[in-house]
Formats: sequence, C-alpha cells, structure tokens
Amino acid sequence: MSKISKHEFKSNTMPAIVTVGPVAVLLVFLVVVPLILVAVMSFCQTDEYYNVVHKFTAENYRKLVSADYLKIYGQSLLIAFFTTVLCVLIGYPFSYVIARTKSKKKKLLYMLVIIPFWTNSLIRIYGWRSFLGNTGWLNSILMSLHIIDEPISFLYKTGTTVLGMVYCFIPFMVLPLYTAIEKLDGSLLEASSDLGAKPIRTLFEVIIPLTASGIFSGCIMVFIPCLGYFFVSNILGGGNTDMIGNLIERQFKSANNWPLGAALSIILILVTLLLVKCYQKAGGDMDNLGV
Amino acid sequence: MKKRFLAALVSVFLLASCLTGCGSSGEKAGSNGELNLFVWTEYLPDSVVEKFEKETGIKVNVSTYSSNEDMLAKVKSETAGAYDVLNPSDYMVAQLIAQGMLKELDFDKLPNFSHIGDSYKNPSYDPGNVYSVPYMGGAGAIAVNTAKVDMEITSYADLFDPALKGQLVVLDDFRAVIGITAKSMGYDMNETDPDKLAEISDRLMELKDNIVLYDSDSPKSALISGDCSVGMIWSAEVAMAMEEVSTIKVIYPEEGAYLFFDNWVITKESPNYENALKWINFIMDPENMALVLEEFPYLCANTDAIAKMGDEYSSNPAKNPPAADVAKGSYVENLDSDVLDIYSEMWTKLKK
Repeated sequence: MSKISKHEFKSNTMPAIVTVGPVAVLLVFLVVVPLILVAVMSFCQTDEYYNVVHKFTAENYRKLVSADYLKIYGQSLLIAFFTTVLCVLIGYPFSYVIARTKSKKKKLLYMLVIIPFWTNSLIRIYGWRSFLGNTGWLNSILMSLHIIDEPISFLYKTGTTVLGMVYCFIPFMVLPLYTAIEKLDGSLLEASSDLGAKPIRTLFEVIIPLTASGIFSGCIMVFIPCLGYFFVSNILGGGNTDMIGNLIERQFKSANNWPLGAALSIILILVTLLLVKCYQKAGGDMDNLGV
Repeated sequence: MKKRFLAALVSVFLLASCLTGCGSSGEKAGSNGELNLFVWTEYLPDSVVEKFEKETGIKVNVSTYSSNEDMLAKVKSETAGAYDVLNPSDYMVAQLIAQGMLKELDFDKLPNFSHIGDSYKNPSYDPGNVYSVPYMGGAGAIAVNTAKVDMEITSYADLFDPALKGQLVVLDDFRAVIGITAKSMGYDMNETDPDKLAEISDRLMELKDNIVLYDSDSPKSALISGDCSVGMIWSAEVAMAMEEVSTIKVIYPEEGAYLFFDNWVITKESPNYENALKWINFIMDPENMALVLEEFPYLCANTDAIAKMGDEYSSNPAKNPPAADVAKGSYVENLDSDVLDIYSEMWTKLKK
C-alpha cells in the first residue's frame, strides 16, 4: 500500500482532482470563505459612521434576545409553519394525481408545476398584488357577479403573506412528493383493498407511511427558505409584519448595521442546521433535499 | 427527476442573471472617455443622458439606488473610483463630506451655477457649496383621496386619528416616519433626547394600526389602485397620483413638512473628474433641467429652468411646493450612531 504506482495515481487520483477540484475550489470561495467572513463580522463593532471596525464585541448577540426580536422570530416561525402545512395540504393531492395518472398528460401536468418557476418570483408576487388589489381582477369579478358590493381589502395582511409564500414554495413541496409517490408500488394498494381496507384506511396506513420521506423532505425544503424570505412580506404583507429576513435585510441596507445583520444571519443559519439535523435524526435522506 | 429539477433551477438562474446583467453591459468607451453616474431611481430621464452623450462624446454608465444608505454601502464596497458622480440627499452630503469621500468642485468649469436660485445656494449641509450643487427635492407631503375620506386633514397629527385605521401608505423610511411623528408632537425631526425619543416611540405605535403599507419605490400605486386613501409620500408622487385620480389632493402639514433635497457631488477618487464637471454643468443648463422636470416634476433649484416650464408646473402645489411651505419645512440631519440605534429599535418595534 505504501507505494502507489504511477499508473494507479493517474487512474484514481488525477480524475478525482480534475472533476472534484474545481467544484471544491468554487465551494471554498463561494460558501466557506463568505460564511467565515459573516461569522467574523458578527463579532465586530461599528464606528460613528457604521463602518465595520475589527474589534471584538458580543454586543450584537446580546441585542438579539430583545422582546421585539423574539416576537419577530416567533411570527417568522408561525408564518413558515402555516405555509408548510398549506403546501402539504395542497401539494399532496396534486402530486398524487400527477404521479398516479396513467394518462399521457403526465409530462404536461408535471411541466405545469415547473413552468411558473421559470419566471422571476418577484414579478409573480407583483402579479398577485395587482390581482388582489381593490381595483384588481378578483374584486372586479366578485363585484360584477354581485357577490359583493364593496371591494374587499385582501392585500397587506399576514394571511396575504402566507398566500404568497405558499405560491412561491409549492413546487418545492410537489417535486419531492412526486418522486416519493411515483415510487409507490401499486400492488400494495391492491393488496390493501383485497384485504378489506377502505380507501381512507389505505391512505392513512399504507400510502402516507410509505411516502413519509417525500412529505418530510418537502417540509424541510419549504420551511427553511421560508424563514429567510423577505420580499413577500414586504410586497403582499405591506411591511407590517416583519420576518427574520426583513430584519436582516434592513441591517444591511437602511439601518446600515452590518455586524448586527451578520449576527442575525448566523442565528438563521444555526436554526437551519438544527432543522436539517432533526431531519437526519428522524431518518430523512439528504438526497431527497436535492443537496 | 433530479436532473429535471436541476434543469429548472438552472433556468431560474439563467433568467435571473440576464435580468440583473442588463444594467452593467459595458460598451466601448466613447471618443471622449467615460463617466459613471450613480443616481436615484426614477430621477433622471434616459433621454437627457443620451443628449449629453451626443453633445460631448462621453460614454455615460448609469447605475441607480433607492436609498441614501444603500448608495453609501455600495460606494464603500466597490473599488475606489467606481463611481464619478453621486446624487445624495442633504444629510448624506454632510456625511460624505465628514468621511472625506468627496472632491471639491471647480466652479470655473461650472458657469451654469448662476441659474441656481439664491435660496438654494450655500445650504447648511455644505456651506459655500464647496462639494455639491443642488438638483431636485421635495417634501414628505400628505396625499388624501377626498372621495374616500370625510375628515379634514391639515397636519401630520391628523394622520394619527383612529378614523384612518387601515388606510395609510407611508414611505418605507425610518427617518421620515419617525421624523413626522416627532413633528406631530411639536418636537424636532432630529430629536436626540432619550426621554423625548421614548415619548415619540409610544406615539409612533399609535400610527401602527393606521398604516397598511410601507413603500418608498412607488407609493402612488396604492393610492391610484384604491388600496389606500391617505398617504405620506414624496410630493412628486402625489403629483403623479393626482394625474390618475382627480379626487386626490396634496396637503402640506401645518407643523411644517419633512423636506429633502438631492445634490450632485463628485467622489474623491473619481478618475473622470473633468467629465464629471461637464455633466454637472450640463444638467444645470435650464434647457436640460426643464427636460428632467417634464418627466419627474420635483421641486427644482434651477429658477431659470422653472421659468421655462409652463404654468401647469409652477402653479401645481404638488409639483412645485409653495415657497411658504418650503420655508416652514425641515430636513433630516446626521445623528450619532448611538442615537440612530434608538431610531432603528423604534422602527423595528413599529414593524414587528
């Protein structure tokens, strides 16, 4: 083992360096180094013009436990939670239909989920704003059908934020669910019904347990990015209900307090890691997260 | 399946990169060098920039920002000399001067400075106009859709009336909103006393239920669509809303309005100092300034350009705020970072 022949080195090590090397270098420069910079910055001070000064302080982290911030963390978690639940409730039947359909339209249905994904989400969210506005389509239709007399204010509420989030993240739920449901063996369902189980029992005792991994990875893929999103609550929520993402964005822009923003980002990263760890502990497969 | 997912992701990235890539396409430099402008969004018509390029043969690259703080952060994070000319507001000029980021202007090369009105010269944030010349400004004016609001609104204090619950759009700007709250209580816009700031913070929370939308980019949209019926927004945005909806009126508050004024300055490391001076002189030409006002009807420092504009501009209070209201108004000033921290906390409390 001590001597590796030239040939062996060429056949094993060289291809590895050539293929993995560039990716590793990219990852180091685009992920590892920036992360270290953020971590370092979170312990820095600022001068009177909010320039970052490289002097140690833990003050940024001490600020994070104020009641106002805790409320913002709480409502971020709640918004992310409701978004995830709604995504499962809407996404599951949808994925089931696509995955189990025998029709030739399967590819088409699948594409229908992907295509909106090709348009910038910011533009689609602005679309919702004009659709839901007081003089928007929805109110106009409802009024012309005489269902309502006065326009209803749909916009700028926390519920609207959740709606926008669900809309943005539903593909992240549908895709892993689709994979899990497609793998489901149809003969198991037949067996279940042959043994006398009603459809509802088959659903809860066969289908859902067997596709749990898909539900699980979908939830992680929706919940985590949801916590960091800021523009949906700005545009559809009117900026009335801050999420962690808004708080971070503000520190890097108008408040100009980069070290505090860095500390907030570190907290968000830790929460994310914790959730992924829980996912792994509960038996989730990292491959299903697309990483 | 994973491949398809990756393909979708790649498409999203491609789309995103071609959207963001548009602004930075570098063309071959013009015959007389280049000029890098960094200006507010919706503040400088392309046609005026093209006219300058044609007249001088200088290639102009325009980048835009939507808040003074964004601009400052960007200038600091870029390599020195990435931008030649900036367009900061009053208090930001003072801050840039204090941080030694600006170059003195050579007024021998700026003969058109004579067109600027005397009341706009020698501002408190740059005594003697050593580093800056004024461009356009305005007020944080009150817009009211009289078809939807019965009560009479004459002051910032009226915006706190519980009758306006859920009807207000305000600028997404903490200095502006906290400033008008202080004004509504008879305090200064730039209050620094911690006890008074605590009072202002309590008062600010009374505004929370009235505000439905924070928007600095295009606050007129919510007024035009009818989602909001009252606003505290840029005066020229009120003017544009009035053109769409005739029942919208502009009001300058009794307490004196929150004012802003934007300026042209040249960065310390500017590699194109001569071209930058040419630009500033060009934009102070009344004819060129009038072209800007046609598109963006803000309060203008160039009295000779106003003379070129029709009555429609000068007699419209939203476009050309009355002199008495401008005289009564006050500006945002630089505050120490420990006071600004309190402002930030008040803002977070409001938006939580």
